[in-house]
Amino acid sequence: MIHSEAMYTSLSNGTLLRIDHIIGMATDAAVAEALHRLEHAGIVEYLTLSETDTQRHHLRAITDRGTECVLRLPRSQKLSDGAVVFLDQTRAVVVRMARRKWLVLEADDVPRALEVGYFAGNMHWKVAFGGSRLRIALQGPVEIYLGRLAHLMADGRVRRIEEAP
Amino acid sequence: MHIGDPAAQGPAPRHPASPQPASPRPGAARVGIGGPVGSGKTALLEQLIPRFIARGTRLAVITNDLVTREDAERVQRSGLIDPERVMAVETGACPHTAIREDPTLNIQAADELEAKFDPLDLVLIESGGDNLASTFSLDLVDYWLFVIDTAGGDDIPRKGGLGVVQCDLLVINKIDLAPYVRVDVQRMIREGSHARSGRPLLLTNCHSGEGVDAVVERIAADVPFDR
Repeated sequence: MIHSEAMYTSLSNGTLLRIDHIIGMATDAAVAEALHRLEHAGIVEYLTLSETDTQRHHLRAITDRGTECVLRLPRSQKLSDGAVVFLDQTRAVVVRMARRKWLVLEADDVPRALEVGYFAGNMHWKVAFGGSRLRIALQGPVEIYLGRLAHLMADGRVRRIEEAP
Repeated sequence: MHIGDPAAQGPAPRHPASPQPASPRPGAARVGIGGPVGSGKTALLEQLIPRFIARGTRLAVITNDLVTREDAERVQRSGLIDPERVMAVETGACPHTAIREDPTLNIQAADELEAKFDPLDLVLIESGGDNLASTFSLDLVDYWLFVIDTAGGDDIPRKGGLGVVQCDLLVINKIDLAPYVRVDVQRMIREGSHARSGRPLLLTNCHSGEGVDAVVERIAADVPFDR
């Protein structure tokens, strides 16, 4: 039988933090003051998570300084950019949300734009609208998305737009 | 807080800004099992249950069916787990609606099982059979598997359905049938890995249990729970 201690053995044989709740946001007054002091001491670590990972309540992740974190959060709490998940006199851990990758499309005319929008919805893709552009949130290789859109892009009435990061 | 031996060391003093934990003990981890009709989701579940119980995992199970309780009754009759720890959710509609668009029924069922059998370590939630676009909401689960099978055709991974691309662990089941349905398993692995940008993919034969230990190890490595 494997007991809890074994399950929490650090995969990297380094430091391991067990995190069971979100302390607050980096912008909260009391937390911000403590963070400010720790930042001066150079002991604030950042945990960069994908948007998908911020939706989980049980996960493992590693900070920018190699500290392994085991997060088991109450379902009433939700990770977000700036969430402080660990804070004591020796260290703070702050969540940063990783930059999302998008496929950006622009259509020549309204009928084709409607077709693309309908298709994206039918594929259950997450999208955002910005001006005349449709942004599709990538959750896999872009080639798969372009392959699915090929029939709508073949005649050039829908184009991929490269946006500056 | 350095935890060389978590059992031996208590936590370092929290900063004054840190409130007490919201709960003295975190809830159970929730892991979803989705995939097309007939791919072997219930068979995988029946292989996972005894392995987790043997590890000491305090387990409960939810099965989703369209209009029956057949999968739940099958697991309850299996003798693998206390039947009281198995709940059925009848979706009454497309199964993905109950694991993605509105997972309320499943969340309620998981909450109920956690309250009834406290403490639980893990709740396994099997979706009803669906299509390749079926995905789990992370409001419901912390991690999810998508089960496809060789008999469904070796073009399935290449097609890049949402379930194949987005799941945390892709399971290709019925590898024993591949020669009989003229399927190239290596091609499925290659194209599946590409579609998933190298994220995990495992092979199983849920009839014999081949490959299931690796699935258990993967879940235990990726999803923290007590034991």
